[in-house]
Amino acid sequence: MDGALLSVEHVSVYYHTPQGETEAVRDLSFQVRKGEFVAVVGPSGCGKTTMLSLIMGLNPPSKGQVRFPLGPCPMGYMLQRDNLLEWRTLEKNAVLGLEVQHRLTDASRERTVALLRKYGLGDFLSHRPSQLSGGMRQKAALIRTLALAPELLLLDEPFSALDYQTRLTLADEVFAIIRQEGKTALLVTHDIGEAVSMADRVLIFSDRPATLKREIILDFPKDMTPLIRREEPAFQEYFAAIWKEMQQ
Amino acid sequence: MRTYSREHMAYLTAIRNHRRGVRLSRAFVLILFVSLWELGARLNWFDVFILSCPSRVMAAIGRLWGEGSLFLHVGVTLYETMMGFLLGTGLGILLAVILWWLPFVNEVMDPYLVVLNALPKIALGPVLIVWIGAGMGSIIVMAVLISLVVTTVTVLSGFTAAAAEKQFLMRTLGASKGQTFMKVVLPAGVPHMMSALKISVGMSWVGVIVGEYLVSKSGLGYLIVYGGQVFKLDLVMASVVILCVLAALMYGGVAMLEKRFQK
Repeated sequence: MDGALLSVEHVSVYYHTPQGETEAVRDLSFQVRKGEFVAVVGPSGCGKTTMLSLIMGLNPPSKGQVRFPLGPCPMGYMLQRDNLLEWRTLEKNAVLGLEVQHRLTDASRERTVALLRKYGLGDFLSHRPSQLSGGMRQKAALIRTLALAPELLLLDEPFSALDYQTRLTLADEVFAIIRQEGKTALLVTHDIGEAVSMADRVLIFSDRPATLKREIILDFPKDMTPLIRREEPAFQEYFAAIWKEMQQ
Repeated sequence: MRTYSREHMAYLTAIRNHRRGVRLSRAFVLILFVSLWELGARLNWFDVFILSCPSRVMAAIGRLWGEGSLFLHVGVTLYETMMGFLLGTGLGILLAVILWWLPFVNEVMDPYLVVLNALPKIALGPVLIVWIGAGMGSIIVMAVLISLVVTTVTVLSGFTAAAAEKQFLMRTLGASKGQTFMKVVLPAGVPHMMSALKISVGMSWVGVIVGEYLVSKSGLGYLIVYGGQVFKLDLVMASVVILCVLAALMYGGVAMLEKRFQK
């Protein structure tokens, strides 16, 4: 595939424990193009998170390689829980990554604050995380990631710790933010509805060892939001197709 | 000023009354205890020679004051305790940092720490006297030993518990180990450090008083042992009362420090 931002090529990962060797990922290959939103669904514990830390470069693959054909690609990681630091204000939490990478300047701080304001957190800059709702906290965590100006966002079940209603509205907001900021995203989830409502393409992983079972391209209008997608007839069809594939 | 509904006002009043009730009852328990003790002594319910009584305790404190030795004894004990407390917690936290930083060393040292933690450090008293000499040095080292191990164990568990996920987050942000420690592990460990401080305040007093029992020529522990040996129970009780006050004050100081850090 030409113009791939990320190319995972024949990657296998083994876990080693004194009890033995576990194959977490087997001969996995896929690509993500620039500007694409790709979702990965699969049963819990199938090695999706392993794959993300592999792409992030935190762990090396046992076999195969992860390439970035367009050149070095700054990445941001968003976790299931916001992990905001309670002893920091919202603003200081948002600039944590910049601070760590010694990139905190007046300009980068202003950019981050502008992001917080733009996405509805402007009134809470000096609040503590515990004073905010779960959805706001997770949005702040996303902005902490965006502050580092990543090209590719790795989203590791970012909504699964939230209640249902918050999950739906935040998915909508995060989708809009990612589109507006023009980012490429790789979303890992076990929630089929979430994948179908947000992604351009869904990769279905098998149970461990994770292999790519099937790929489904979602054909929704580009600007259709997740909430509206959920009301489309096609949503149910895609949902059913993925469900069936995962059951097999 | 906001106005509240009548129900809410009643609720607030109930809370205030409850708090006042607790405070008054606390004071009442103390007054009751002291009065019964004094009354019992006056009415010869028990032998004052054995149990002493509040008025004789006050008289004993007054005598110490008159001799000018009250501040000497209090000063010596307070100095030893402060030194033991500061050195014990300081070194304890330092040790915890080192063990967090070097997981291999931590794993190697683990069983030794467990044994040291379980060992009654008082058993080392005679050894300390031989090594360091019969004086203030031994007493302070005793206090340090007692507070050091418990501080290390408590603070270290705080460091390792500091959310593995937050440490993973720091990795994804590209943080070095030092940055992870300074920005996540250390601040997350503050509550544990505070509870370690609270424990080690008490531990330092134990260490110092035991140390003074073993070897000393002044201090409150010395007064207690001396009073016991010559059957001056008034003196013993007076020293214990002073100890109570000092220990409470020091604990209060740490609690205040904790409040400041919690903000």
